[in-house]
Amino acid sequence: MTETFKTDVLVIGGGMAGLLTAIKARQQQVEVILVDKAYAGKSGQSPYADSLCPFNRKWGHNLEKWLHAVNVSGEYINNPEWTKLVLENSFAIYKLFKSWNIEFHKNPDGSLFKKEMPDGGGSTVFFHKNQAPQAARKEALKLGVRIFDRLMITELITSDSKVIGAAGITAENADLRIFNSKVTVMCAGAAGFKPNGWPIHELSGDSDALAYRIGAEVLGKEFTDTHMGNRKTPAFIPFAEQMKAGAGPNTGPKFRRILNAEGDPPHFKGTGGLWLSNEFEIHAGRGPLSAEMPDGSMMEFAGGTTLGLASHKTEGIVPSGLTCATTVDGLFAAGDALGNMAAGAKYPFMGFAITHACVTGCMAGKNAADYAAASPRNTITTEEINAVRQRTFKPLNRKGGFSPRWVIDVLKNALSPYFILYIKHEDRLRGALTYINFIRSHLLSKLIASDAHELRLAHEACNIVLNAEIKLRSSLARKESRGCHYREDFPYRDDKNFLGWIKLKDIDGKMTTLFEPVPEKYRPDLSIPYERRYTARIPGELDHFKRTL
Amino acid sequence: MSIEPINLELCTGCGTCQDICPVDVIRMDTAQGIPVIKYRQDCMLCQLCVVECPANAITVTPGRLSPVSVSW
Repeated sequence: MTETFKTDVLVIGGGMAGLLTAIKARQQQVEVILVDKAYAGKSGQSPYADSLCPFNRKWGHNLEKWLHAVNVSGEYINNPEWTKLVLENSFAIYKLFKSWNIEFHKNPDGSLFKKEMPDGGGSTVFFHKNQAPQAARKEALKLGVRIFDRLMITELITSDSKVIGAAGITAENADLRIFNSKVTVMCAGAAGFKPNGWPIHELSGDSDALAYRIGAEVLGKEFTDTHMGNRKTPAFIPFAEQMKAGAGPNTGPKFRRILNAEGDPPHFKGTGGLWLSNEFEIHAGRGPLSAEMPDGSMMEFAGGTTLGLASHKTEGIVPSGLTCATTVDGLFAAGDALGNMAAGAKYPFMGFAITHACVTGCMAGKNAADYAAASPRNTITTEEINAVRQRTFKPLNRKGGFSPRWVIDVLKNALSPYFILYIKHEDRLRGALTYINFIRSHLLSKLIASDAHELRLAHEACNIVLNAEIKLRSSLARKESRGCHYREDFPYRDDKNFLGWIKLKDIDGKMTTLFEPVPEKYRPDLSIPYERRYTARIPGELDHFKRTL
Repeated sequence: MSIEPINLELCTGCGTCQDICPVDVIRMDTAQGIPVIKYRQDCMLCQLCVVECPANAITVTPGRLSPVSVSW
C-alpha cells in the first residue's frame, strides 16, 4: 500500500544531526518530517558518542591555536572556514544540552571534568550518560516534528535536477512511502559497509549513495577510519552494563599503550586522533598488536572494525557555500553526511564528530527552513511514483538471483584485508575495483528478497557497492599519501599536486574524478621544510626522497 | 552467541526492543503480544535492546552467527 506525505522539510536520518536539523527547522514554523531506517534517537553513531568539544575562551581556550592544531593534524586540507564555524558554534550546543539537563562528568570536587587537547587550544567534556539523542527526540516531538521510524529511504526524487522529495519502504511490510518536500536534508551518517565491529552495522552509506545518484558530488572517501576491536570478539564491546550504569562507551578501562609483537610501541607516530600507525606495524610483519590494560594484562587487537568509514568529517556530500546546502538544488546535508572537510585528512580529537553533527544540524535546519519558506512545492506525478515502485520492488519480484546478505559478505571479504583500503597500492586498488565492478554489473542486477527485511538489505547492498567504488576510485586518484590515506607506491605528501579535495560525480553515467585545490589563503607555508611541515613520518618516505634527491 | 532467546517470563510485551533494534532483528508477534527474534543472523551485538529493555529480559552474548571478517 502506497501513501504520500507532503512536508516543507524532509530530514533523512535521526542521529544528532538529523534531530537538530528537524528541531531548528520546526522552530522556523515550517512543517517537518524526519525518517530513520531504525529508530530516531537510537540509530547511527550518535548513541555511542560520549564527548563534546565546546569552545569557550572563559575556559582558557584559544581559537587560533585550536584551528592551527586541526590544520596540522588534517595535513592542510581541512576547510578552515568550516572548522571555525563548528568551533565557534560549539558552546551553544553545550548550553543547549545543559538546558535539556544532559549531565556531564565531574571532577571529585564537583567541577566539570575537562580533558585538555594534546596539541593545545581546547578541551573535551564527557557525557555522564549520553541522553542527548533521546532528549532531542523528545524535543522534536514536542515541537511537532513528525517522526517516521523504521522506514528506509531508498531514493531521492528529482524534477529538472531539483530534489522534490524521496521514496522509502517500511521495515514491517515494505509499504512504499512517498515524501513530497520543498527541501530535503541528508543526515544519514557516514558510509560504512555494514561494519562488523563498532556497533554501527546499519551504516550502509545511504546518504552519499542516494545523493550521488541524483548528481551530487561526494568527496573524502580515500581517507580511512582505523578503529580496532578485541581480536577474540571483534564484533562485541561489553558496554551494556556500563551504559546502563550511566557511563558512555569510551569511559571503561583505558589501555595504557599499544605494543607490537616485539614488545615495542608502533614505530610511526602521528598527530591528532586515529591514524595508520597500527597498520604500518602489521604491514611490516610486526603484528599481532596488543593493548596493555590497566591491570597489566594484554588484549590482542583486530583491525577494520569500522570498514568502509572514512575518518569522521573527511567524507560526504560536497557543500555549496557555508549554509549546509549542497551542489544539488533542494538538497542540504548535515553531520557525517556533509563533506565539508572540517577535519581534513584525519580525525583531530575526541568529541569533534558529534559537536560537528550538532552544529551543522542546527545550521541545516535553520537554512533549509528558510529555503522551504521561499520555495514552491513541485508535484510528484503518478507516472514517477509508478516508476519508483518498479525500481524499489524489483528484488521482491525476481524468482532467482543472489541474496543481498551474501553479496554484502562477498564485498566485505574482498575489501576487509588491510592491504586494500588501509595500506594501498595501485595494483591492489585496481584489482579490487575489477572485483567490485563485477559485483555491481552482475550481482546487483539480480538481487533477490523474500520479505521486507531482505528488501532493505538489497537496497543497502546497492548503496554499499556504490560507496566502495567511489572509495576505490578516490584512493586511486590521490597519487600521494596524506593523513589517513597511505599509498605504498606514493609514500609522501605531494603538495604540488594534491593540496586539495578529490570529488566524484556522475557525469553522463560515468563516475568522474574532479579536483578542487585548497584556496590559496589556506595553503601551508611551503617555505617550511617538508619534514617540519609534516612531522608524522610514514613508511618508505625517506627512501623516496633519497631516490629523488 | 548474539541475541539470546528473550526471557518471556520477564518480558512485558511492550515492543521497545522491536522499535529500537537498528538492524531489524526483532519483530513483535502481534497475535501473542511477544517479541520474536526473527533475523538473528543480522544481530550486530550493539546491545541497545539490553540497555533499553525496561524488564531486563534480553541478553546478548559475544560472537555473531555469521563469520566476522577483520582487516588483520
